Amino acid sequence: MNGLARVAGAALAALEQAPHGERGALLTSLRHAAAARVRGQGLPTIAQEEWKYTSLAALDSASLRAAQSDDGAAVSVQQFAALDLSTASPLRVVLVNGRLRADLSTLKTLPRGLRVESLAALANSDPERLAGLVTADAGSGSTMHALNTALLGDGVLIETDAQVRIGETLHLIIINSEGGLLLNPRLLLRVARDSELRLVEEYVSVGPAAGLTNSVCEIVLASGGTLFHHRLQTEALTSNHVGRVAVVVGEHANYVSDSLAFGGQLTRIDIDVALAGRGARCRLHGLFVADGAQHIDHHTRVDHLVGDTHSVELYRGILDGRSRGVFNGKVIVARDAQQISAQQTSNNLLLSRQAEIDTKPELEIYADDVSCTHGATVGELDGSALFYLRSRGIAEKAARALLTYAFAQKIVDDIPLPGVRRWLENRFLGHTDSSQLQSALSQP
Amino acid sequence: MLEIKNLHVEVNGNEILRGINLKVAPGETHAIMGPNGSGKSTLSHVLAGREGYTVTAGSVTFNGRSLLELAPEERAGEGVFLAFQYPIEIPGVNNVYMLKAALNGIRRYRGEKELTAVEFLKLVKARVKAIGLDDSLLNRPVNAGFSGGEKKRNEIFQMSVLEPRLAILDETDSGLDIDALKTVAEGVNTLRDQARSFVVITHYQRLLDYIVPDYVHVLAKGRIIKSGAKDLALELEARGYDWLSEEAAA
Repeated sequence: MNGLARVAGAALAALEQAPHGERGALLTSLRHAAAARVRGQGLPTIAQEEWKYTSLAALDSASLRAAQSDDGAAVSVQQFAALDLSTASPLRVVLVNGRLRADLSTLKTLPRGLRVESLAALANSDPERLAGLVTADAGSGSTMHALNTALLGDGVLIETDAQVRIGETLHLIIINSEGGLLLNPRLLLRVARDSELRLVEEYVSVGPAAGLTNSVCEIVLASGGTLFHHRLQTEALTSNHVGRVAVVVGEHANYVSDSLAFGGQLTRIDIDVALAGRGARCRLHGLFVADGAQHIDHHTRVDHLVGDTHSVELYRGILDGRSRGVFNGKVIVARDAQQISAQQTSNNLLLSRQAEIDTKPELEIYADDVSCTHGATVGELDGSALFYLRSRGIAEKAARALLTYAFAQKIVDDIPLPGVRRWLENRFLGHTDSSQLQSALSQP
Repeated sequence: MLEIKNLHVEVNGNEILRGINLKVAPGETHAIMGPNGSGKSTLSHVLAGREGYTVTAGSVTFNGRSLLELAPEERAGEGVFLAFQYPIEIPGVNNVYMLKAALNGIRRYRGEKELTAVEFLKLVKARVKAIGLDDSLLNRPVNAGFSGGEKKRNEIFQMSVLEPRLAILDETDSGLDIDALKTVAEGVNTLRDQARSFVVITHYQRLLDYIVPDYVHVLAKGRIIKSGAKDLALELEARGYDWLSEEAAA
């Protein structure tokens, strides 16, 4: 068996044995240090508190292989064109099996004030700079981040110029294909002072992908910067996904995140936000929808490092079949970080008796002048709403579907991505009648 | 059309309805009045098929079919409509979308062709005009954030689109000011014809100034203790309910 531990181990060994010269020494030593940490601490297991509910053990009996650079060629232009994506922005960056595909991207027509660079190219041309941009691992967190660093192949660096608002949505499409590839895409975002960007980070599959995507996305917002970040996990139901988003939010900067997870057999997403400057804020929304034997775990962590920082968090989960959902939201208020506000809500809808959710808010507060709230609900569909719809002539099954859709709607309402609405309609309503009606109605 | 015979209903082991008898013919409007806790809302819920009520005796037939055996959506298909006393707010479900699903659900039940989006919207726009509903409410989530008056008007609007054979109005007047009450009543009156029947449940006589019933029944302690013509409502307004309860007990 070429399970995860074995494949990762072999890849790390190859890294350590590769000849390396003077050039790029900093990057090399960074990667070696990350490799050493993975070797020393091993991959996450359920013995660790942070991974208590999510086991990667099944991946040890999977048949994996570390992706090579030529795996990037696997998806054809036709296959790409056939993908059902959330949006059709003309601003597109495509990674296939971890490799940037310039032919599918629109790198040559980027608007003024936006720069996108391949990390593989940067590792070649200016490895010292790349080494300065990546964080080797997540400190005390999981070693999956360190694994991504050690096996860094390709990815993109996205930068805005100060005081520029990018009007178009930047659509980042990260595709996995083929059987059991171990992929380590890396994304680096630098949102400059007083600039604004809307980013869609969309994970999709072409064909029967059954590997592991282990992605890391590092974001730094300089003072006054704004990022709208819509992260979508709609990979094949045979795929596995571990994703980490690490954000540093500067003074008066604003990070707005939607994490939508519908795909994958096993999905674990960590979103860590450090509110590092006064006036920094974040708004984290999430929606996960699971059925069958799917497992979707969201861990969020918001660090209020200084005073006058604000976070609002709302996650909703819809679980059917024998699926399992996890929401663990941690808020940490640093010593003397006064006058902060933190709100956290987790609502979950269980549609079957076998479905399960573990929801856990965690607050650690080391300041006294703070306003922190949290609440979690787990429930079934509202009986009186169900009766109301049925009394109007809507069959029970359809009424349930409509209410489930409505539960999700709260999160997708302010996401300007038609594909997300379409996906939910297909999933719950079985057709796209709703948007047709909407558009018919808005016409005079 | 509707025939209720000796209907006994329990909620959590408490008998709420204790032998209701009522016959409603096509085109008739019946008012059911009574003090709080007399079982008025229980009656409307049982007719619409809400869960949580146990029928221990009696029968309800509607156009020859036993209503109590049908699911709520099947009753709607047969032509029963309940205007709720407290219309439910459903955030996330668009009003007009819900209504289209409802109308087409009913049409499917009856073996009729479903309406297309265009046909449906044509109907909706005509009805909105007739009811005097603010059409910005159409595109909003069902009842979410509506004022009390808007909710009640929305119920009547839904009724006008679904065109039931029997409409049960459960305390439709509660919480309405006089202007809203008049608009709602006008909406109901435009739908009255010789085929469609109404059961108007109310605590106060006021509504019956605008929706004039053919018959008035007084419900108390789970039984209809008096029936009469529309003048009975005026007498109740003047004398209250107590004299009737005493009369019934005597």
